Amino acid sequence: MLDEIGAGSADSTARLGWTGLVRFLHLAPRAFLPMRAMEQLVLVAGQGIEGDRYMIGREEGFYSHKPEEGRQVTLFELETLVALKRDAGIELSPEEHRRNVTVEGVPLNHLVGRRFWLGETLLEATRLSIPCRHIEEITGKAIFDPLINRSGLNCRILQGGIVRVGDTVRNMA
Amino acid sequence: MSARPITTIKTVVAGIEEAGAGIKVFTLADPDRWDLPPFKPGAHIDLHLPNGLVRTYSLCNEPADNSRYVIAVKREADGRGGSRALHDEVGIGDVIGVSLPRGGLEPGADIAHHVFVAGGIGVTPFLSMARHLLQIGNTGFVLHLIVREEVPLAAHLAPLIDEGRVVVHRTSCAGRPNLASLVGEVGGQTMVACCGPEGMTDEFERLTAAWPAANVHIERFVAPPPVIDPDAKPFTLLLARTGTEIPVRAGQTMLAALQEGGIDISTSCCGGICGACRVGWIEGKPVHRDRVLSPYERERFLMICVAGSDADRLVLDL
Repeated sequence: MLDEIGAGSADSTARLGWTGLVRFLHLAPRAFLPMRAMEQLVLVAGQGIEGDRYMIGREEGFYSHKPEEGRQVTLFELETLVALKRDAGIELSPEEHRRNVTVEGVPLNHLVGRRFWLGETLLEATRLSIPCRHIEEITGKAIFDPLINRSGLNCRILQGGIVRVGDTVRNMA
Repeated sequence: MSARPITTIKTVVAGIEEAGAGIKVFTLADPDRWDLPPFKPGAHIDLHLPNGLVRTYSLCNEPADNSRYVIAVKREADGRGGSRALHDEVGIGDVIGVSLPRGGLEPGADIAHHVFVAGGIGVTPFLSMARHLLQIGNTGFVLHLIVREEVPLAAHLAPLIDEGRVVVHRTSCAGRPNLASLVGEVGGQTMVACCGPEGMTDEFERLTAAWPAANVHIERFVAPPPVIDPDAKPFTLLLARTGTEIPVRAGQTMLAALQEGGIDISTSCCGGICGACRVGWIEGKPVHRDRVLSPYERERFLMICVAGSDADRLVLDL
């Protein structure tokens, strides 16, 4: 039925349209370490983010023992941070959610399986991120439940480049 | 790729300082001098030593100084081996895995006065707390340091002693001070804290039994026995494919018990939603606490990370 009405097709997503912004960029070189805010990140196609713990070949992240080719860069919605404060009274800052890119105005949950531009880089969304107890251990905040189904997006990098704070995020036309 | 999950923070020994009285001060830092995970004043960390021992030490530095973890270790010749390993075997540049910091003091906004009581090397968490309080401009504290003769970490404490913020009580010349008089009377805006040998912390606990719990803080050299949910019961896992029996302690997760038994289980969220650790069960009464399995699936599977058992024995398809 969903096929028949064309729900979620590349055509319909492009037609409905959205444009977002890169608001924050973060990375950490090893598991457990605080994420550091960056003005720009260097994305390497098929590999990951230079200096980040999950860069393929580096493998120093908490989940590196579970290698995942589609986890080269992770994104998170700024709107989720607002919702956490509004609905659960939890202040979570952009460096605490431990994803690399915080975007605004980008419907991440709609993008699984799709390609989109993050600044000059081209990404393909592979799957939704899942919240984990590890993040509660690090932040000391009870965010596991409120983040179910809104914990961000895992992507592979199809075309690398430099992503800067303020860059536009847009659907692949 | 590492075969096993990374469970500790990787640090390198960036400094070792002789601090007198058989004490060495170790500075641990990230290999690239990245900031380390934050901590509260007086928090402690586990060190996973190269010889396999895991030992807990209080941090001496203050939270604002979060590019390093500083610990002071007294060599205990007849101890359990942790301090000997650190003193005798660990050198500059060695890699040591540490846990996330735990515990410590959260100076409350309505706490106007802190009274710290330390015995010997038990001064370490209060060095962190004192440094933190001074850093935020709170001078309303006193640290009573009870020693036999020699002051541990004398060079580190000297500025605080000179300012009269540390009062040294030498038992070799004046006998043991009256702990009750050091602690003083219950005061709503006063927090009292103690760290030292078991006898001292026990006495301190008795003296402060009537104080509000939020105004009392005790750091022990030896951890008290864990508090276990009175309703939690131990049970045994039988792994059908190998015949191995794995005991699960009251309050322990199956996942932790299996990992202790050297059984590798693929996990991810550890909260019962991702499905990574799904395992078949054959016999028993599993208690399902996940949010991923359907009622039908629960007749055959359970999630190792959150499930329990309502019977003494649970047989798993492992």
